[in-house]
Amino acid sequence: MDNQKLADHESLDLHEVINFKTLCLAKSKLMQGLVFDDDLRALMQKDVEQSMQALGELQAVYQRAPFEAPVPQNRPTPIVN
Amino acid sequence: MNQDYLDPINALHVPELADTTFAMDLLLRAKDGVRNIAVALTESASPDVRTLLRNHLMQGIAMHQEITELMINKKWFHPYELSEQYKLDQLSANNTLMIGKMNLFPVETNRKGMFDRTPDDH
Repeated sequence: MDNQKLADHESLDLHEVINFKTLCLAKSKLMQGLVFDDDLRALMQKDVEQSMQALGELQAVYQRAPFEAPVPQNRPTPIVN
Repeated sequence: MNQDYLDPINALHVPELADTTFAMDLLLRAKDGVRNIAVALTESASPDVRTLLRNHLMQGIAMHQEITELMINKKWFHPYELSEQYKLDQLSANNTLMIGKMNLFPVETNRKGMFDRTPDDH
């Protein structure tokens, strides 16, 4: 059951959850550089670590989405203008 | 509060304003996270996806509790005394509105062209 293609609806919801988790990681990481309070920073560090773990797990499952495709190194065209 | 963001008078209370704002953002994201994952879970059929999302849901609920407790201890959140919460809500709205009116980024920020050339071919 663990290598079977995912159903369509759950795959789309995984798309939503992954993007949400990615942004949560980015925000918590960013804000650690801005907060004054040590306790708040420590909690954000815990959030960062948990989010990184969760994101990795989500990425693994997301590979079984029916619309899966090879992931390039980076976006093909650099933004110039 | 004047428009000169370099004037020290504007720096008073900034640490509290910043921390309360960051904490509130963390709290709202935790709440959204729990809700989003609960919805995703109820649309998932594959057993391992459900297990993974259920674990993340439990983790999210625990994190939300931790954030809530931290904010209550720090007096940044007053679920039992809503008049206090009312004051904080209005205060941070006022402060953030003042920041909104400030001309914080007068300099050109479009520097896209500066990132695409490798060092030796310009």
